[in-house]
Amino acid sequence: MTQPSPAPTPTAVSTQSVVEHLAEIVGERHVLSRQSELLVYNSDGLPGYRRQPRLAVFPGTREETIAVVRLLAAEGLPFVPRGAGTGLSGGALADDIVVVGLHRLKKIISLDVANRRAIVEPGVVNLRLNKHVASHGLLYAPDPSSEAACTIGGNIAENAGGPHCLKYGVTLNHVLALTVILPSGEIVELGSRIGERDGYDLRGAFIGSEGCFGLALDITVKLTPKPQTVRTLLADFMSVDQAAHVTSAIIASGIVPAALEFMDGPTIRVVEDSIYAAGYPRDAEAILLIELDGLEAGVAADLETVRRVCIDGGARNVKVARDDAERMKLWQGRKKAFGAMGRLAPHLIVQDAVIPRTRLPEVLATIHTISEKYGVVVCNVFHAGDGNLHPNIAYSADDPAESERVHKAMIEIMQACIEAGGSITGEHGVGLDKMGYMEAIFSANSLNAMCELRSVFDPERRSNPGKVVPIHACKEWHGVPGRRTRMDPRSPGEIHEPRPLEAEPPRPSAQ
Amino acid sequence: MSTEAVASAIRESAETGEPLRIAGRSTWLDAGRPVRANKTLSLRDDTGVVSYVPGDLTLTVRAGTSLSEIERVTREHDQWLPLDPYGLADGTIGATMATASAGPLASAFGLPRDLLLGLEFVNGRGDVVRGGGKVVKNVAGFDLSRLLTGSWGTLGVITEVTLRLYARPKADRSFVVVLSGSAKEQAAFLDAFLTAPFSPYAFELLSPSTARALGLGDKPVCLVRFGGNIAAVDAQAHALAQLARVEEVEPSKWQELRILERGSGCVIRLSGLPAQFRSASGFILDDPQSGIFTYINPIRGVLRLVESPQTEDELREDQDSELGISTDVPPDEIVVYETLPAEVWPEIAPSVVSDSLSRGIKRAYDPHNILNPGILGE
Repeated sequence: MTQPSPAPTPTAVSTQSVVEHLAEIVGERHVLSRQSELLVYNSDGLPGYRRQPRLAVFPGTREETIAVVRLLAAEGLPFVPRGAGTGLSGGALADDIVVVGLHRLKKIISLDVANRRAIVEPGVVNLRLNKHVASHGLLYAPDPSSEAACTIGGNIAENAGGPHCLKYGVTLNHVLALTVILPSGEIVELGSRIGERDGYDLRGAFIGSEGCFGLALDITVKLTPKPQTVRTLLADFMSVDQAAHVTSAIIASGIVPAALEFMDGPTIRVVEDSIYAAGYPRDAEAILLIELDGLEAGVAADLETVRRVCIDGGARNVKVARDDAERMKLWQGRKKAFGAMGRLAPHLIVQDAVIPRTRLPEVLATIHTISEKYGVVVCNVFHAGDGNLHPNIAYSADDPAESERVHKAMIEIMQACIEAGGSITGEHGVGLDKMGYMEAIFSANSLNAMCELRSVFDPERRSNPGKVVPIHACKEWHGVPGRRTRMDPRSPGEIHEPRPLEAEPPRPSAQ
Repeated sequence: MSTEAVASAIRESAETGEPLRIAGRSTWLDAGRPVRANKTLSLRDDTGVVSYVPGDLTLTVRAGTSLSEIERVTREHDQWLPLDPYGLADGTIGATMATASAGPLASAFGLPRDLLLGLEFVNGRGDVVRGGGKVVKNVAGFDLSRLLTGSWGTLGVITEVTLRLYARPKADRSFVVVLSGSAKEQAAFLDAFLTAPFSPYAFELLSPSTARALGLGDKPVCLVRFGGNIAAVDAQAHALAQLARVEEVEPSKWQELRILERGSGCVIRLSGLPAQFRSASGFILDDPQSGIFTYINPIRGVLRLVESPQTEDELREDQDSELGISTDVPPDEIVVYETLPAEVWPEIAPSVVSDSLSRGIKRAYDPHNILNPGILGE
C-alpha cells in the first residue's frame, strides 16, 4: 500500500467568482445562487429530506458541460450531478455544494434502426426516447415509474429498473457504451458503440455508480423490437397472502411475464380516490397486474396458464384488458401510485428492498405486523415478480413524533428483508437514504473494494461526495480528505461530508 | 479448496511476490495467453452447490463447479442456466465468468454478465470481497460483479457465484436452412428472418467447412433454435418454413458446434454492428478458407474464426498469411483474440487494459501484480 499523502489544506474561493466563471460558460440565467431560487433543488423524489445546495449550474451543450466540469476540477470544488431529481434515495441532495443539472442536454444524437441502437444525451427523458423510436417498431425497455420525467442520465446513475425489467432486464442490460467526463475533466469511452469489446467492464462499473464516478456526456442504448402482442391481466384477491402465493406459482410455471406487479388494499383505495383511478376493485385486499408479451401464439397459451394459476390460487376475478386504452388505464394506476400517495400526507418514505421471491408471503405478513406495532399505514405496491418490495408510508416530516414512528417502522421492515436474504435496494440506489444499511449487507473488505473503485474514477472524491459507501468504511480514506476547495463559508467550519439523514438506521455488523 | 485457502495462498504470494496463474480445470480457456507465472492456483476442487432454491430461480455455486454439473443439478427441477460458451461443458463456472465466455444462446439470454447476480472473490492482497447479492435485482453499492466478469483473474480470484436460472422451455427445437443461393439471396433471407417476429434462442450462420464438420452438407447453412411454450415454437417453425426450405435437426448440433473449437490453436472473434455482418455474410461464408471454421451471429454482430485443429501444423508454418485475416478487418470492428499460439500473443494482440482507469483498478485490486500477470497483454 502506498502511504496516504498528507491532507491538502482546503483553500477557500469566493462563491461570487465561481458564479461569474460559470456564467461565462453557460450564460447568467443558467446559474442559480440565490437561496430562494435554489429551494427547488433542495430535495429529490423523497421530499422529507432536504439539503440546500450552494449554487446550481445548468449547461446546455456538451461543450458547456465539459467546461463546467473542468472549471470545478480546476477549483477543486465538489459537486452533485442531477438529472430530473426524481430519484428516491436522497442521492441528488447537495449539501452546500454545487449542483450540476443535466436536464438541458436533451438531444437524441442518432438513431440506428438497422442495428437497433440510439445515442442520446443524458438529459433525454426516458419516455421521450420511447416515443421517438416507437414509429420504428422499437422500444427502450427500462421503464421506471417516473419515466415521464426521469432522464436517461439519471437512469444510468441509479441503474434504474421498472415493471418490465422482470423480463427485459434493468438499465445495465440495455446500455452498450458511454462517453464519460471524469470529475478530473478527462473524457473516456466506456464500453463500445460498435461491438462487444474485451477488457474490464468499465461500462458495467459506471452504470449504477450514483453520480460518484463522473458524468455521462452521451449514452449508446440498445433498443428492443416491440413485441407482436401484449396482453394485460388484472387479478384481484381477498387476501395479501393469496396474491403472494400466486406470484410464486406464476414464476414456478416457467412463464416469464413482461411484468408482474402487486398492489395491496390500502394502495388500491388511495389510487382509486385519486385522479389516477384505474378501475381497480376497491374492496380487494390485493391485486396483481400481469403483463404477457411476445409472439401471438405463445402469449395466448401463457395467458390461459396464468389465468388458471390465478383462479386456482384464489383470485376472485381475472380480467383481461380488451384494448390498448384499457391496458393504459390499468397501468396508469400502478405507475402513478406514489404520486397518489400525496393525497394522504405531504411526505413519503419509500423502500426498495429485494427479497427472494419465495419469501414474499412471510415478509409481507411481517411488514403488516410491524405497521400495527408502530401505528402506521404501510402501502405495498411493488414488482412482485422480482421480489422487489416498495413498502411506503405517507407521513408528515414536520411532525417529529410521527416521523420517528415512521422511521422506526421502516428500519424494522428493512431488517426483516435483510434477514430474509435480500438486498437493501433493487433499483432506487443507496444514495444517502440507505447508506446506513450498507454495513449490514457488505463486509468491511467489500466496502473497501468499492471505495477503491471509486477512487480510481474520482481520486479527489468530489463527484457526489459522501454517498453510497459510508466514509468510515473506506480504509485508505481515514483522515485523508480528497482535494476539495470550499467556497467562502456560509458559516465558518471545516468542509464536511453530507450529514446523515434525520433518522440514521442502526449499523448491524456484517455476516 | 475453500475461500480461506485461496485467500491464504494469495496472501503468501503477496508476501513473496511469486505470481500465480489462476486456473479452473485448465480444460479450455487457457488460450495460450502469456501469463508470467510458474505457480498455478487451481480452483478445480472447489466445487459444489452452496444454495439452490428452485422457486427463486437462483443458484449459488462454488467457482470450480463445472457447467455440466450445473446442468445436471438444475435439470432435476426442470430449470437451466442458459449459458453455452464455446468449448467443453466440463469447464468451470468461475472460468466462464472470469473470461466472460459466451455461446450461441447469448443472443437470447445475454452475455455471462447478464446471468450473474453476485460473486465472491479474493483480491491480490488476500482480502475476501463480495459484490452483488443473491436476489434477482440489486443495485446496492458499486458493481463489483460486472467488474470481475471478463477480468481474466487479474483483479481477483472468483470463489463463488450466484446465477439467475430459467425454467426449461416446454419445447426446444432446432432447424437448419441451407443457404445455397447467391450472396444476394442469402442476404434477402437474413433480412426477412431478422425483421419478422421471430425470437430465436440461437441463430448462427455457418460456413461450408463448419457445416461439413457438423454433418450438415457442403453449403453455408443457418442453424436456428426456437424455445418456449409449444404454441410459440410451432408457430415459429411454421413461419420459418414459409421463408425457406428447412429441415429439423437434433439439438445436439449445438453441442457439436460448441466443441468444434476444442484443440484449436487459434480462435479470433470479430465484433461489430450487426447489420454490417448481415450484409457481408454471403461473402464471408463463401470465402473458401481451407482449415478455417467461420460462423456468424448476425443478431449480436459477432463472427468467430476458428483454425481447425487438424491443420494446426500447416497453419503454424504459415502463420503470417493465415493470421492475416486480422489485417483485413474494417477499422470499425473490434478484434478479440481468444486463442493464439503462445509465441504469437505478444506480437499481435494489443493490451486491452492499457487505459488509465483499467491500470488504476488493477493497481488497487492487485497491488503486487501477482494475479495472472500478462494475461491481458499488459
